[in-house]
Amino acid sequence: MLQIKNLSKTYPNGCKALKNITFEVKRGEFLVVIGLSGSGKSTLLRCINRIHDPTEGTVIFDGQDITGLKGKHIRLIRSQIGMVFQHFNLVPRKSVLVNVLCGKLANTSILRSIIGLFQSKDKIKALKNIDIVGLTGKERVRADNLSGGQKQRVSIARALMQDPKLLLADEPVASLDPATSHSVMKYLEKINKELGVTVICNLHFLSLVRQFASRVIALKDGELVFEGAPNEIDEDWFRRIYGEDAVEVSVR
Amino acid sequence: MNNKLIKAYILDCFLWSYSIIVLHMILFDRIIQGLSESNFSWHTVVIEVLVGIVVASILFFIKDFSVGRLSTGVIKPDYENSWWQKAYVYLSIFYVTITLITGFLISQVSMREFFSQQGLKGAYRIFMALAHPNFRIFEVTMFAAIETIYMALIATVIAIPAAFILSFFAARNLTRAHWFFQAIYVFLRICMNLTRSIEPLVWAIILSVWVGIGPFSGMLALMVNSVASLIKLYSEQIETIDQGPVEAMVATGAHPIQVIWYGVVPQIIMPFLSYTIYRWDTNVRMATIIGLVGGGGVGTLLMQYQMLAKWNEVGLIVVVIAFIVWAMDYASAKIREALK
Repeated sequence: MLQIKNLSKTYPNGCKALKNITFEVKRGEFLVVIGLSGSGKSTLLRCINRIHDPTEGTVIFDGQDITGLKGKHIRLIRSQIGMVFQHFNLVPRKSVLVNVLCGKLANTSILRSIIGLFQSKDKIKALKNIDIVGLTGKERVRADNLSGGQKQRVSIARALMQDPKLLLADEPVASLDPATSHSVMKYLEKINKELGVTVICNLHFLSLVRQFASRVIALKDGELVFEGAPNEIDEDWFRRIYGEDAVEVSVR
Repeated sequence: MNNKLIKAYILDCFLWSYSIIVLHMILFDRIIQGLSESNFSWHTVVIEVLVGIVVASILFFIKDFSVGRLSTGVIKPDYENSWWQKAYVYLSIFYVTITLITGFLISQVSMREFFSQQGLKGAYRIFMALAHPNFRIFEVTMFAAIETIYMALIATVIAIPAAFILSFFAARNLTRAHWFFQAIYVFLRICMNLTRSIEPLVWAIILSVWVGIGPFSGMLALMVNSVASLIKLYSEQIETIDQGPVEAMVATGAHPIQVIWYGVVPQIIMPFLSYTIYRWDTNVRMATIIGLVGGGGVGTLLMQYQMLAKWNEVGLIVVVIAFIVWAMDYASAKIREALK
């Protein structure tokens, strides 16, 4: 469903974030991207939904080359790809409900969204998605007043509003404590298994990778250095991905 | 490195040329020759600048004698010697001293006039009159004051939507994406700075020629100034936002207008309100001043009585203005506190 071919990204400051990356993602997969901070994981995800423009290479989503799309066309593609972020990126001063409804902005007219008049079928759907992430009763609470784990669940619900074919998760648990991390990962797994959404997720902790990933790719200095099943990452591979001196930290 | 050296050299040249011109034209002519005004000629200025450049060029290469090399960071200040052992310390003291002396001379600071018999008598007379305000003109003053407050309010209210919309185009982080928006950004910044560099007092004079003397010209002057100031404050606030929500909105496939409405606006709305209320408060204070040049309101009244030298009436108006300013200040501080 997603093909990345020879993807390279060089930032205007000359930093080469991605070098000639090629891989493929099949429908229903839970693909985890690992690698050191600064290895290009976030850039890779942002090139997929074109928040960043790749310098070279192609991104093929659902059989369509989306690399050169502009304006309305790329917005249509983005509306089919959900995204959750390390720092949640919720809209401050707005309620949980409005934050979740933001996932439907692409299908709401500009005028309606400015006066905050979302369609009632969207509201019903938002309530359902809030229920899926276990936040029923918090609809009217302001998003800034939630805890980290709850915020991340709101952002998952927001992504679900898009009925995404693909969900990009950029280090979704990196600012959460171990217990909350696990629960957020469980929700991502649920979305993957029960709703059949393909997930691409950046992660740091190998214990979580082994538990949740169906396939793993590893980046090092912007290059793809590993592709395979999670249990294939042994001591040897670990050192190759994270450097000679790395020692694995266990969450538990 | 080269760039820094050039800057250092230019700074040294400037300092020495400046010192020589000041020493000659102000200190030598005024103090030693006792002239009330220097005889100015471009020839001497050019010669003195050249002398300054020569002196600077020589001292530039002597260790410790270049203030420019020190202040641009070409040489590191040495911490081994005490400060009184360094030449540039004395040079800096020298520059500051001649500048201060020149300043006092030019602004004609004179203790003799400040404490002269006649001057003190005049001051006493006016202060006594001001301390006994004439309450018979209270109604007139009150109406004029109300005019001032409303004038300021309307100027602020009209300025808000214009400044709100334009501020998004004057924010660097939102206009980076496309050359067209970058051009708008530069154009807006230039207009804004030009507008702000002209004082509202001058705007009031210009506009009173245009629309006639009265509250309308004062209101327009305040509005022009408010739009420019609010754009600056608003856009600076927009530049400090967290890019995260913006990114999240883009990722949902939202239209750029929706991205701004949901990704940017909720982050800035409170500071915007706070600035706006502060602006109204400022406008009330400015409106009284603008009245002095015919912008209507309590300032115009003040000017009329002051020209007639009716100090008791002026006293009352001053009391009323002071009360308004205090009340606005207090109210705006309270409201802004509540908004936090």
